[in-house]
Amino acid sequence: MLEQQLVNGLTLGVIYALIAVGYTMVYGVIELINFAHGEIYMLGAFFCVSFITVVGLPLWVAIPCAMICCALLGIAIDIFAYRPIRKAHRLAALITAIGMSIFLQNLAMVIWGSRPRAFPQEAVPAFFSEQAFAFSDVTITWLHLFIFGITFSMMIGLFLIISKTRVGTAMRALAQNRTCCQLMGINVNRVISFTFVLGSAMGAMAGILVALFYNTLYPTMGYVAGVKAFAAAVLGGIGSVPGAMFGGIVLGIAEALGAGYVSSLYRDGVAYAVLIAVIIFRPSGILGKALVDKA
Amino acid sequence: MKLKIALPILAAACLFPFLPFASEYALHVLTLVMVYMILAMGLNIVPGFCGLLDLGFVGFYGIGAYTAGLLTIHYGLSFWVIVPLAALNGALWGVLLGAPTLRLTGDYFAIVTFGFSELVVLFLTNEIWLTRGPLGLPGIDPVTIDLSFISKALNPAWDWYYMFDGETPYYFLAMLLVLAVYAILRRLEDSRLGRAWYAIREDPLAASSCGVNILNYKVIAFAISAGIGAVGGCFFARWTLFLSPDMFKFWESFLVLCMVVLGGLGNINGALIGATILVALGEVLRVVLPELGLPVETRFLFYGLIMILIMRFKPSGFLPRIAATGMDNPVIKDLKKRLDRERATA
Amino acid sequence: MKKIVQILVAAAMTLLLAGPAMAEEPIKIAVPSPFSGGAAAYGDNVKAGVAMKIAEVNEAGGIDGRMIEAVYLDEMCEPKEAATVASKIAQDDSIIGGVGHLCSSAHLAALPTYVRKGIPMISPTATNVTISEKNKDRDGRVWSFRDVYRDDYQGKFLARYVSEVLGLKKIAIFYENNDYGIGLKDAFSGEAGNVGLEVVGSEGYMKGTTDFTPQLTSLKSDNPDGLFISGYYNEGALIANQAKKLGMDVIKFGADGLDNVDYINLAKDAADGTYMTVPFLADAAGEDAQVFIAKFKEETGRDVDWMSANAYDAAGMLIAAIREVGADRAKVQEYLAAMTTPEKGYQGVTGLTYFDEHGDAQKAAYVKMVKDGEFIPAPEQLN
Repeated sequence: MLEQQLVNGLTLGVIYALIAVGYTMVYGVIELINFAHGEIYMLGAFFCVSFITVVGLPLWVAIPCAMICCALLGIAIDIFAYRPIRKAHRLAALITAIGMSIFLQNLAMVIWGSRPRAFPQEAVPAFFSEQAFAFSDVTITWLHLFIFGITFSMMIGLFLIISKTRVGTAMRALAQNRTCCQLMGINVNRVISFTFVLGSAMGAMAGILVALFYNTLYPTMGYVAGVKAFAAAVLGGIGSVPGAMFGGIVLGIAEALGAGYVSSLYRDGVAYAVLIAVIIFRPSGILGKALVDKA
Repeated sequence: MKLKIALPILAAACLFPFLPFASEYALHVLTLVMVYMILAMGLNIVPGFCGLLDLGFVGFYGIGAYTAGLLTIHYGLSFWVIVPLAALNGALWGVLLGAPTLRLTGDYFAIVTFGFSELVVLFLTNEIWLTRGPLGLPGIDPVTIDLSFISKALNPAWDWYYMFDGETPYYFLAMLLVLAVYAILRRLEDSRLGRAWYAIREDPLAASSCGVNILNYKVIAFAISAGIGAVGGCFFARWTLFLSPDMFKFWESFLVLCMVVLGGLGNINGALIGATILVALGEVLRVVLPELGLPVETRFLFYGLIMILIMRFKPSGFLPRIAATGMDNPVIKDLKKRLDRERATA
Repeated sequence: MKKIVQILVAAAMTLLLAGPAMAEEPIKIAVPSPFSGGAAAYGDNVKAGVAMKIAEVNEAGGIDGRMIEAVYLDEMCEPKEAATVASKIAQDDSIIGGVGHLCSSAHLAALPTYVRKGIPMISPTATNVTISEKNKDRDGRVWSFRDVYRDDYQGKFLARYVSEVLGLKKIAIFYENNDYGIGLKDAFSGEAGNVGLEVVGSEGYMKGTTDFTPQLTSLKSDNPDGLFISGYYNEGALIANQAKKLGMDVIKFGADGLDNVDYINLAKDAADGTYMTVPFLADAAGEDAQVFIAKFKEETGRDVDWMSANAYDAAGMLIAAIREVGADRAKVQEYLAAMTTPEKGYQGVTGLTYFDEHGDAQKAAYVKMVKDGEFIPAPEQLN
């Protein structure tokens, strides 16, 4: 049973990680807790399903299309809502993010209706639900492997972008000191937009994977996932990309083990208790740098 | 608030229930506005005065409400006894949470408070033996004013006993609480305590080198904020006469935080305005949207949109108090305007 | 400072303008339900049922030439919002009664206002037992009625059914941690001992969760031969689906909460072999019901579910009462409260409905099951 719970937790965890990366990157560059990110995740799933059912694209084309849509939406949100108040108190941006989250969630509800939808099964390859391999009494399906594969390759890709490319370097520089970046001739707004593109695309992917895995999508799905992913990002040390990945996986496993062994009713409670305990003993999260107090 | 503005508003508010067009609905909504005023004023202390992001305020609100509800149902205590008890209980939890965590910085503190409020909700949901969990806590007695022990002593035939019924008495009770909290906070703001909070908010390092014990003052702020939240919850419990863990979800924390920021962070008057706007907005949309022929499902679509627009055009809230950056600082702007005017007249 | 005044005045004015009632031409029925937030899908079901009934009545000329109008009020399934909505309903004199609330907790929070102001309400879905105790005013008049079974009735019925008809022995319970799931589970567990069932495991989940594998994994290790899903179809479908993925191949059953075509849509082939109690069976229902079922499918494009059917009947009952005694809240209440025997009952699509002294509907329960992706009546019923 322990092995099964670990697999459950890992599946949950990599998805949290995928969403948490979006939080943490945006936080890194503009110090904003982008609560609308959970909604991007939800919209990713809805876009993907709409591309399949309405436009009639196959799954492999619909996924990148949905990711592109979400990336554009991410830029649009930044330009429309966050950029005008970039110089204001940072709580103003937080409230805008909350407003945006309410807006997008209800927009999805108006467009697609509030009823839960199933992922169109005819678009999903049949082998996904077949067993890939089994050990002791744990079954791993191809879909599990697909999720792990996609997540890890996206994480590695992201890591390469951040550490090897020019724009990645600019992102890291921006996280250190915005004014200085501007003085060095970095187009700050473009770099921030790029951050939103990366984060949103990954959030959309997470939404699609969840919809595929659980075979359901509904307009309020972003809320819980968003909050959990935010917790994961903080757990790992907000602003740190490897931290977000690590935090997501830790949180997912803590949740699965908590639900399986402690109490299913305190499932989320176990996750939050782990979070609080970690933060009290490591005030900057697991992989976070010790914070230089800017305030 | 200046007296010449405050007094007419107060007078109008006192007269309102006796006007012919004051329906129960309007009174209910206004009472709700005042509940949120209490909450917003309470929360304002932490992010507004001390500059700490608190995302778990609803936890204390819930603790206060359930304290009041359970004490009423099991021990039949009077509202007037419960208010201080609930406030103390809230403050106690504030200290318990705050003491170990207030040394955390920025968003790490925010997430800890958030986790705490979620744990409170989970506790309320799952400890069915105590709170009846998701079945809710119905049958809480309304507020009573029982002065029969005085009246009986004066004259055995007198019975000074009044049980709150309908919205009007609650409306006045809420007003009383708002005034009390407002007065207390005004005094605190101008006291040594308030100045210490401001110092911590503006520059913790400087404050600490001036001999302000940062952690102690933060814990006091957190405890007072929690206590006020609990008072709000206490009133809420004896007003709606029903409690359920659903009422204390994370969303409420956000809502109250939005009120504080929208009104103007760190400004007590701003908290009052923020509460008025956001509660009224929900109700106005409820009435206006059907008139425009829009379906009822779009209410929160517009709610979110309006929130974004308010922040877009009023990024420091309606009554800004805290410095943004340099010349954007409203206080400095104000000063500059006044100087310019004086220079022009001189 | 001037701004404060302006803003406060503006806010007060809008509230005041919202106050007075509009022209009193149509007869209004309030429908307070969640239309946004996490429970909005359920509100959608109720809205569909009520809207259909009202459209039918209006097409037939309304009541004495007066049209019926539904006032949809969003309360997000939140007790606080529900209390506000209740006072809004109370102040609008042209609203005669209402169909709602959907959630028990919202209904309980709104009840004090209905009872105090005397507004007859019929809830199509709120099943919490406590409502029966809190729905009377000081004179003992019942103001809130229910066109739905109480949790305790269904729970006991299910225990008997799975033991006597399906012959199950070891049951694992997976319940939603809300009033519905807990009420149902407790009634079921209470009866289980009497009918020779053994509850081998019990786990809970929160609404809005999508991942149930940790709990299912531990339930699976208890080796049950039946899984009782005590919750609604949204999560129920995911549970069935994930149970299958975990190789937990047992009979699943639940109460009316599972009865929605979305259950089959979301669970796919994992839905097969699920039994559930329902207020009516489409195939065995009367002619009215057949017409309703066909029309519902035509208008909404989905199969009718218990929430819509109950809402349709609740609206029908309220309209029938208004037709009999006129548009008057107190008289409507008297009429509804007098529906205590089968003769005085209301014949709707969900069968004959009449109330006991607590305003709770007395109805027979049926069982249906999922087979090959379709709902069919269970081969054996229990009466």
